[in-house]
Amino acid sequence: MALIELEHIVKTYDLGLSKVPALRDIHVRIERGEFVAIVGQSGSGKSTLMNIIGCLDVPTAGRYRLSGRDVSTLSDDELADVRNLEIGFVFQSFQLLPRASALENVELPLVYRGVAKKERRDRAVEALGMVGLEDRMKHKPAELSGGQRQRVAIARALVTQPSLLLADEPTGNLDSRTGEEIVRLFLDLHARGNTIVLVTHEPKLAGRCPRAVRLVDGLVIADGPGREVAAANAEALGAEALAQFQAAERAVQSGTRP
Amino acid sequence: MTRLRRILAELRDAILQAAFSLVSHKLRALLTISGIAIGIMTVILIFMVESGMSASFARQLSTLGPNTLFVHKWKWGVSGNDWWKYKNRPHVNMLDLRALQQNTTLPVAIAPLVNTQATVSHGGKDVKGVDVRGTTDGYLDATGWQIRRGRFITALDQEIGANACIIGADIEDAFFKGQEPLGQQVRVGPNMRCDIVGIFARKGNAFGQTQDLRVVLPLSSFIRTFGSKRGLVVAVVAPEGKVRETEDEVTAVMRNARHLAPDQEENFSVNRQDKLLEGFEQMMKATNITGILVGIITAIVAGIGIMNILLVSVKERTREIGIRRAVGARRATILWQFLCEAVMVALVGGAVGIALAAGAASIIDLISPLPARVDPRVMLGGVIGSAVLGVGFGLWPALTAAMLQPVEALRYE
Repeated sequence: MALIELEHIVKTYDLGLSKVPALRDIHVRIERGEFVAIVGQSGSGKSTLMNIIGCLDVPTAGRYRLSGRDVSTLSDDELADVRNLEIGFVFQSFQLLPRASALENVELPLVYRGVAKKERRDRAVEALGMVGLEDRMKHKPAELSGGQRQRVAIARALVTQPSLLLADEPTGNLDSRTGEEIVRLFLDLHARGNTIVLVTHEPKLAGRCPRAVRLVDGLVIADGPGREVAAANAEALGAEALAQFQAAERAVQSGTRP
Repeated sequence: MTRLRRILAELRDAILQAAFSLVSHKLRALLTISGIAIGIMTVILIFMVESGMSASFARQLSTLGPNTLFVHKWKWGVSGNDWWKYKNRPHVNMLDLRALQQNTTLPVAIAPLVNTQATVSHGGKDVKGVDVRGTTDGYLDATGWQIRRGRFITALDQEIGANACIIGADIEDAFFKGQEPLGQQVRVGPNMRCDIVGIFARKGNAFGQTQDLRVVLPLSSFIRTFGSKRGLVVAVVAPEGKVRETEDEVTAVMRNARHLAPDQEENFSVNRQDKLLEGFEQMMKATNITGILVGIITAIVAGIGIMNILLVSVKERTREIGIRRAVGARRATILWQFLCEAVMVALVGGAVGIALAAGAASIIDLISPLPARVDPRVMLGGVIGSAVLGVGFGLWPALTAAMLQPVEALRYE
């Protein structure tokens, strides 16, 4: 049984005057243990898809089964429980509680699971150890570097031992060297058996994932080994960049004409 | 077990967060807390003064006795428009008294009462502002006062206008520390010397004033010394269960004594203490309504403060709400978290208000005649009231926080 089964997923945003389709007909299956990048430009619907996969949002139509359970019709509270039990989030902007220490941040999901205090602490310490932050546990997010903050966020995502690790542009706010560390951490986590879905607009990053799904205008237009999808994406980007350049050139020429 | 652990952990977290939120916005919290505190204090004080007055009044009334009628020029418990009507009535005088004494059959006791304030002296010492009363032998039965030592005024004292007096416990203390007062003389007013024949048992305070600073004289002696211009109040004690009949009889005798035609209105009043009570209760009702109105207004003002704090807090912590929701917090968890903050502000305000009220009460108790004390039940009411206030006005902001979409909340800058 696949971990994620998305069938005919449609998401339409109702803006009153007009309905904006964000996802039009998404069909994706992701097996346990996979490391999949969802790649696309801004506006392609990748964030919407991530929100639906992460049970932060529900589709307008279609069926989403997570671990065999149809979650597209669950109530708000049930979705909260699914997020707590099945999913670990890593966000671009880290999303840590600013007033809580690294340890307390990592403990938070276990609070909502009703884990006893002692066990909570032990597991949080263990998770922080996995991301190499055992000596920064008492620090507040403001006292940590960007890379360290993202490690805390990863530890928070791992502490519940979720079925799915869901990362949204995890390197987007980091310099390239720190970003590279985080990518290595994800590859390492994948090697240890975690299922990871990573949303990114960087073809380079997608290229390093075993599998990539490329979205354009709310449709899956490529699904395959990361390197191939990324190359196609780069071509598309290149073509678009060329078109933009030519348009700009024409504008300049027409502007300079008397 | 897991559920309980989760609830406890969430509650602990909510309290910590709420406390932190308040501490990190000291001024804002302080302003709201003082608003609540002043509100709670005001309401407590209003109700405290009111219940103090009630208690004091009830004690005063109990000294009058429920079966006693008071024949007086004034109608008790009446104020306002009718004032002139009562003002122009003739005083109840000696003739009225005699008519009542001779022509009524039902009363158990009849005693005239007249009083003034005068200076009483003994051995070169003066006591000013003594309550000097003139009455007759029916006084003890009519009022419930008791003689501790010696005797009371007799019919003979009244008949001959004897220079005899009974002194209150405060007078005894003032002049006769360690001496025998009986048989000694005091001067009452400018020129009356009288022999002390009895001492009253101590009565204590009513309306915060001592009742024991008094001298009682035979009515005839009182009139000789202080003149007859003052009207009398005649206390008539009805037998148990015959108050209404006695009232009718007293009215008939008085009408007869005053030669009133059947169609003429009475120019005297037969008062009962419950009439006084009615007037008092009306006044108390007004105070009560004032208290409730002030309470409502302060509650609204304080509530708006709480709401404001919470709305700002929800705005500031929108991302935090998103984070918590993303890692598994349910809507109810978020709701509780903010309600916790609201209740905490309200409770701190309430506690400060109660403390202020208790402080004000002890000051009032010291400097005014009213006995003032904050009842533990009132304190409990204050605590519960402020908690309800917190929930009531915190509910809407907390609901907006709980209803936030996780995705929106996470995106909030």
